Amino acid sequence: MNRVQAAKSILWVVVGFAAAVGITRMIYGLGATTNLNDATPWGLWIGFDVMAGVALAAGGFVITAIVYIMKREEFRPIVKPAVLTAFLGYIAVIISLLFDLGLPWNIWHMLIFWNPHSPLFEVGWCVMLYTTVLLLEFSPVPLEASSRYAKIRTFLLRFRFPLVMLGIMLSTLHQSSLGSLFLIMPYKSYPLWYSDILPILFFISAVALGLMMITLESLVTSHLYRRQVETELLSKLARASVWVLSIYVLTKLTEIVIAGESSLIFNGSWESILFIVEITIGVLAPIVIFSIPQFRRSQKWLWAGSVMVVFGMVFNRINVGGLTMMGITGDSYFPSWMEISISAGVVSAAVLVFFFAVERFHVWETPPRHPEAEPTSRPRFDRVSQVWLGAPSVAGRTKYSLAFLFSFAVAVAIVPGNEIQSKGAVTVPTMPARGGDTLFIDGNRDLYGVAFKHEMHISQNGQKQSCVLCHHMNIPMDKQSGCYRCHKSMYQESDAFGHQWHSSPRGGNIACVQCHEDGRERTAASAKKCDNCHRDLLPDGARIKHERNIAPSYVDAMHRLCVDCHKEKALTLEGKGDLARCARCHETVPPEYMSPGAPLLGNRPYFNRVMMPGAESLLKADD
Amino acid sequence: MKAILTDVTKCIGCLECVSACKSANRLPMDIPRLWQKNDGLSAYNWTSILPKPLLPETGNGGQRFRYIRKQCRHCLEPACASACPVGALHQTTLGAVVYDSDKCLGCRYCMMACPYGIPRYDWESPVPYVRKCILCFERISEGKEPACTEVCPTKATIFGEREALIQEAHERIKSNQGKYINKVFGEHEVGGTSVLYISDIDLDFLAYKSNLGTRPLPQTTAAAMKSVPVAFVGMGAFMYGLHWIIKRRSERQENPEKPEEKV
Amino acid sequence: MQTLLELAQGPLFRLTFAIMALGLLRILILDIWGAVEAYRKAGDKNIPWGQAFRKSLAWLFPVGKAFGSRPVYSLFSILFHIGLILVPLFLFAHVELWKSGIGLGWVTLPKDWADYLTLSTIIFGLALFIGRVAFRASSFLSRKQDIIWPLALIVPFITGYICANTGIAPAGYQFFMLIHILSAELIFALLPFTKIAHCVLMPLSQFVATLAWRFPPDTDEPVAISLNKKGVPV
Repeated sequence: MNRVQAAKSILWVVVGFAAAVGITRMIYGLGATTNLNDATPWGLWIGFDVMAGVALAAGGFVITAIVYIMKREEFRPIVKPAVLTAFLGYIAVIISLLFDLGLPWNIWHMLIFWNPHSPLFEVGWCVMLYTTVLLLEFSPVPLEASSRYAKIRTFLLRFRFPLVMLGIMLSTLHQSSLGSLFLIMPYKSYPLWYSDILPILFFISAVALGLMMITLESLVTSHLYRRQVETELLSKLARASVWVLSIYVLTKLTEIVIAGESSLIFNGSWESILFIVEITIGVLAPIVIFSIPQFRRSQKWLWAGSVMVVFGMVFNRINVGGLTMMGITGDSYFPSWMEISISAGVVSAAVLVFFFAVERFHVWETPPRHPEAEPTSRPRFDRVSQVWLGAPSVAGRTKYSLAFLFSFAVAVAIVPGNEIQSKGAVTVPTMPARGGDTLFIDGNRDLYGVAFKHEMHISQNGQKQSCVLCHHMNIPMDKQSGCYRCHKSMYQESDAFGHQWHSSPRGGNIACVQCHEDGRERTAASAKKCDNCHRDLLPDGARIKHERNIAPSYVDAMHRLCVDCHKEKALTLEGKGDLARCARCHETVPPEYMSPGAPLLGNRPYFNRVMMPGAESLLKADD
Repeated sequence: MKAILTDVTKCIGCLECVSACKSANRLPMDIPRLWQKNDGLSAYNWTSILPKPLLPETGNGGQRFRYIRKQCRHCLEPACASACPVGALHQTTLGAVVYDSDKCLGCRYCMMACPYGIPRYDWESPVPYVRKCILCFERISEGKEPACTEVCPTKATIFGEREALIQEAHERIKSNQGKYINKVFGEHEVGGTSVLYISDIDLDFLAYKSNLGTRPLPQTTAAAMKSVPVAFVGMGAFMYGLHWIIKRRSERQENPEKPEEKV
Repeated sequence: MQTLLELAQGPLFRLTFAIMALGLLRILILDIWGAVEAYRKAGDKNIPWGQAFRKSLAWLFPVGKAFGSRPVYSLFSILFHIGLILVPLFLFAHVELWKSGIGLGWVTLPKDWADYLTLSTIIFGLALFIGRVAFRASSFLSRKQDIIWPLALIVPFITGYICANTGIAPAGYQFFMLIHILSAELIFALLPFTKIAHCVLMPLSQFVATLAWRFPPDTDEPVAISLNKKGVPV
């Protein structure tokens, strides 16, 4: 296997894996597959795939500007691959966006619903238009293959200059507008990365990154296809990048100094470390490397420098895109393996298409020898259908399709089946019944299990026919499903009561049987009366008799049932009408009623966790 | 412009508004999820009560907590509506910032843009929408009050015209000297909000940063967006000019005798 | 045992099922692709489509074919296939699993029928195995997989029958269930790469075969060389 084949096999494995994960994402939604949350709604897919992806594809407009605008004809050999890279980059951005958008089938809405105030609207339009422009710029290359398309090809070539101009203008807009996106978040962004000239910084860095991406792309493909490296051209690009990077770093540092944020660079916070790493690796070190002529002409240093710039600028986009906001939002987001694999898969697919194009079409001046071309190619025998198929047109399809197949299957296997259906809720831990009938289920996931009586559930749900209600042989549902899957009424009926507050990991820790009568259905009807625990519900000497004291909650009791009663009673009891007003009582509420430990409001999620007594003894008692 | 004024000192934390909000907007049950922020708001919980402990010396009437109702602030110049690329979030004439789920494409830029971190996402669903308080838009356009202010037993949170409520707030501050912080929260921040607070404790924690300033957030991007056509045409003109100069120079070098002739 | 069972029911099942589904799809695509290529290279493009179609139908529903040279063998084979296809797809317990897994259910076999079909599959499978081994002509033509498959295919049927009728081995339920699942998964995983792939390739095989013999005249030489049958008449 040669280098290209090895690379392709690995890429197919990644693509296969990502394909399965991508299907999972589309079926189960973002919550089940990503680590995105309400504090960090943008994650890896925006920071890396979209923001960095667009910047990485900047090589297309940079190289067309150099060749067609500045007439530096010596760079013409690297125009086609750079435009192809840019085109595939934009396609990859759009595909990643389809995974990231909550409603990807509405992506075309930007065409008909306009909000020109939004930078994202402008970015969206520019990306759409520029992708079209890139397609038109590149399409003469594949059209070359057949004389049938000669007319279209000459037609397209006639418009090459206006297309190039349009491409540069559109790129200027959206490369900078990606920075404008973050102007609206002055309170979330860290000051070192936030500035009013963010659009300008984004544009300059995109130009630098474009130059280095062309270099890196050329180096990588030369290595894989064993082509001659265009060192002379690349060193010229490197020299240009020194200028662009210098302008970038000077603008950025000047802005920081003017804004008076320079002290933030060295204050030792993790943001300052991120900043130093980003600037040193991505900008300063490459400037030093590429300003030395010997280093510029050395392939090794070209590799090092371009990798550093690419890393630094991608890092910059991720920093701006959300990494540095975490200190302010207080969230700690790290992409899930599913997010990472989809990102990797989209990139791999783009690289595979790149390989396909360079092998098929006249992208390079000297096309590579077809890596699959075997001189001793023999007609292929299909073992299954027992026939001879002749030499295959796409060699390696057996190998690559198998690589895809197996990694797809592995991804399907390790996608957490049932956890994914519980969507964000932590799985329910269970302890197997120890030689008996009772099973401990920690439905609230707070280390306090409740006893689950198996026999009782069978007899209540219709004997032998009932197994399938909970147990499904294929999916170990009985280990994963929470009590609430069946006992739904406890949430529905008692919403205001806040059942999860009384029982959840963030509130109290009451086991079911502490409130619900053991052995009966767990509904509001079987719950204990509120004043069973909340003994201070009725003060001493109260004359009120609560006949309907099965209120789902204390809050409910106070504000619905009791108050209503009082209102009713107020009609008959003279002078007691005032009782119907909460504020009358609450003026005189003793302070300890409002304290965190008090039973009144003590178990709300925002208060200190109060461990309910008896939870441990209950565990032991059921043993 | 309609508005809500919440007097933090009057709130008793009964959560009646939370429950009324749920039933008025027909929001389903809410199981705690990994992706929710710990402020009680979620895709199915559009308002919540945040208890804040009081320092012993400042607590009046022996109370040790203040209850602050968190909800969408309905900014006069909403960042979310300005950010939304398809205009799914937009402001109505009554001041409510509402959401058109038919337009939304799920980019979540609104969630990034909001300085208060209000919009929540329906992460659980394969067809997710952005969810937040809509100031009971349907009710207020019928002339009714929002559900939350209607049920409040202590009238800690009230509904009315914004001008009138601001006046009311200032009067309350004036007539109870020393009880409140001398500031109507939401009067000027980020250009003013329709949900106002008066309080005896600082309410800066409701936003991502303590001092938000009075500049409306849409103005931050407006400047950049205004220069878009200029940049577009400017870059085009610059590139064409550059091309023309370079072309002319190279032509002169090749044919120095007849520089004006085009090839 | 419990852990093993869960592993077999969860990740292993998904792994092998995905291999089977995707593998069959892959082999189908490759087959059609190959057929198209064969058609392009065919020297004689006058292909009898109708005849190939009729042949395919005849093989798919072997009513007429069945009672040719070896009627007993054919009958056994048909009966074996009926149970083999119907029981796994339409067993009540399996459909319930699909319902709980992907939310889709379909018609099911009555329990008695399922039991009879299972037993018939086991019996005819064994008979086919014996036929492969016992008859000299068959055993001479058989490859290893031809002999092993009838046996391998009835393993999940035997264990499944034991599990479905708990009276047979009440204590060994988990063990037999594990064997049932694991053997079925092994079949899933191997299915696209062995002769069992005929479950999807069958309708195509007549077309492919018809096409494959219409290469330009010069192709038979390299074909014969790589078959090590140079000089042997086709």
